Amino acid sequence: MADADIDRLAARRPLSPHLTIFKPILTMMMSIAHRITGAGLYAGIALLTLFLLGAAIGGGAFAAVAWIASGFIGNLIILLIVWAIFHHLLGGVRHALWDRGLYMDPQGRELLAQGTLVGGILLTLLVYILKTLAS
Amino acid sequence: MTVATKFKSGRTGTGDAYVSDHSGSPHARFMRLTSYALAPLGALSAWWILGLAGKSFDGVRAEIGRPIPALVLLAFGVVGMIHARKGMDDIIEDYVHDGALKAWAFIANLWASRLIAALWAFAILLIAAPK
Repeated sequence: MADADIDRLAARRPLSPHLTIFKPILTMMMSIAHRITGAGLYAGIALLTLFLLGAAIGGGAFAAVAWIASGFIGNLIILLIVWAIFHHLLGGVRHALWDRGLYMDPQGRELLAQGTLVGGILLTLLVYILKTLAS
Repeated sequence: MTVATKFKSGRTGTGDAYVSDHSGSPHARFMRLTSYALAPLGALSAWWILGLAGKSFDGVRAEIGRPIPALVLLAFGVVGMIHARKGMDDIIEDYVHDGALKAWAFIANLWASRLIAALWAFAILLIAAPK
C-alpha cells in the first residue's frame, strides 16, 4: 500500500472518545487538575527561581523581579503556587491510597476527589491564616 | 515510553511499529518514591513560599536566610524539579505527536529542569550561606 493510502486510512480511523464526549465527572476533573497543577508548579518554581536569584544578587536585580511576589499579580502568583503545592500533594496522597487498593469503590474515589478539591483550598487558607497570625 | 523497532506487522511498515521499552513501572515507582520526600518538603516549603509575598528585600532574605527554611526549600526545589522533569516527560509523550519535535521537547525539558534546579540551589545558597 502506498504511503498516501495509509495516511488516508489513518485519518479515517476514529479517535477514542475524549474530553468533548465524556461527561465531566469530579474524579476526571481532579485527574486533569493534578496534571495542570504539576505543570503549573514547573512554571511556578521557574518564576520563584528568578525571584530568589534577584533576592540573592540584590539592587537592580531585585527591583526587576519584585513583581513576582508583590503587588496584586505577585500575591496571586504566590497564592496559586501554594494552592498548587497542596492540591498536587493531596492528589499524590490519593494515588498512594489507590496504590494500596484503598478507596477504589465508587463512594471512596468520589470522597477522595472531593477531599482533594476541598482539602487543597482549606490547607491554603489555613497556611494563609496561620502565616498572617504569625507575622 | 515506546521505542521504534524493525518489527513489521500486517498493518504498519518496517520501523513504524512501537513496542514497550519496559520503562513504565520504574517510572511510576520513581514518581512515588520522590513524592514521599516531596509531601513533607512541599507542605513546609508552602509555608515559607507564602512568606515571600509582599516582602521587602530584607524581608525576603530574613524569611529564607535561616538554616532550616533554606535547607528545606533547597531540597524541595531540587527533588521537585527531578520529579517535575519526569512528570513533564509524561505530558510531552501524551500531547506532542511529531517525532522530531517530541525528541527536542525531551531534551529541552531535561536541560530546563536541570537549569532551574541548579539556579534555585545557587540562589538559596547565596542568600543563606554564612558569610
